[in-house]
Amino acid sequence: MNEADFKELKKGGMMRQVEAGRFSVRLHVVGGELSAGQLAAVVTAAERFGRGRVHLTARQGIEIPHVAAESLAEIKELLSAAGVGIGVCGPTVRTVTACQGCTLCPSGVIDAPAYAQAVDQAFYGASAPHKFKVGITGCINNCLKAEENDVGLKGWIEPATAADAACTACGVCEAVCPSRAIRVPDAETGAVIDASACIGCGDCIVSCPTSHIVANARGFRVYVGGKFGRSPSLAEPVLGVQRSIDDAVRVVAAVLDFFRAHGKARERFADTLKRTGLTALETHLATAGGLS
Amino acid sequence: MTTPRLDITGDVCPMTFTKVKMRLAQLAPLTLLEVRLKDEALKNVMSTLKTDGHRVASVARDGDVFVLTVEKSATARAQFP
Repeated sequence: MNEADFKELKKGGMMRQVEAGRFSVRLHVVGGELSAGQLAAVVTAAERFGRGRVHLTARQGIEIPHVAAESLAEIKELLSAAGVGIGVCGPTVRTVTACQGCTLCPSGVIDAPAYAQAVDQAFYGASAPHKFKVGITGCINNCLKAEENDVGLKGWIEPATAADAACTACGVCEAVCPSRAIRVPDAETGAVIDASACIGCGDCIVSCPTSHIVANARGFRVYVGGKFGRSPSLAEPVLGVQRSIDDAVRVVAAVLDFFRAHGKARERFADTLKRTGLTALETHLATAGGLS
Repeated sequence: MTTPRLDITGDVCPMTFTKVKMRLAQLAPLTLLEVRLKDEALKNVMSTLKTDGHRVASVARDGDVFVLTVEKSATARAQFP
């Protein structure tokens, strides 16, 4: 096997180990979710082709180490029969990570696993200038760490004041807001929301005694250009509040287009953005992507 | 009859909203309860009251203490544990 073969295998989720002739087989796990049946197949595969152990990866995946080169086709077949796909590596769109989202977590705003499935279906394994990671976190508590991804989506509640319910200027919203994004200057003015300071937690909405403050949108915000590695950087927010799974797919498509057009080979998206500036991406999202 | 009063200024979550729920459970529907609390308990207490269908009839300030006048939900039955 030559270097080109190893590279191809790696791209297909078979990672060469230190030990000659052995590979760590990366599995395709979307949002960290597997059925018990799939997990049973992973156990069988690890026992039959590996050394009876698995590694849980940093991005919610599983790798089966110690698989011999001659068993790679066979392990793939066994796993595939149980609906377990093989992972990817190299300059591709990687496994989409997600928290458990609003159907399970009381804090959740969006159905993060459903978003992850949709984004994964649209882009998993697609080529890019460098690895490209998407993570989806269901709310502002950010358990899934949106800002460490090339594109991170974060559940977000956008508050607004309702005309049909009076503000009594009680000051509760001002007191509960963790980012001082609401002021109640006087009884006549009522609550004033500063959208640029708002962190989308919705605390003001659940606390308002008269329901004067309501949810204008329950969706997500987009963060771009995060990574760890040798020189970590945190993703920055772009666009306003987005509302649906379709929006999520559109956003990732537009960001990927921009990365493919402007990114150099082996350059992480964060570094591309350092060269182009965030404004160039924002312009692209608005013009080519039709996003705001 | 004077409005019953509950002071949770010295409590921390989850005892803040737990005490409010327990006190309200002892009252008849549409009875008023005055709750005195600090701002750090506001979010959880307010959201619990809204979720449980009670009405916050008024909010007043006494220094750094918030004073809520809560009207127990018309549909919630009185429970005497």
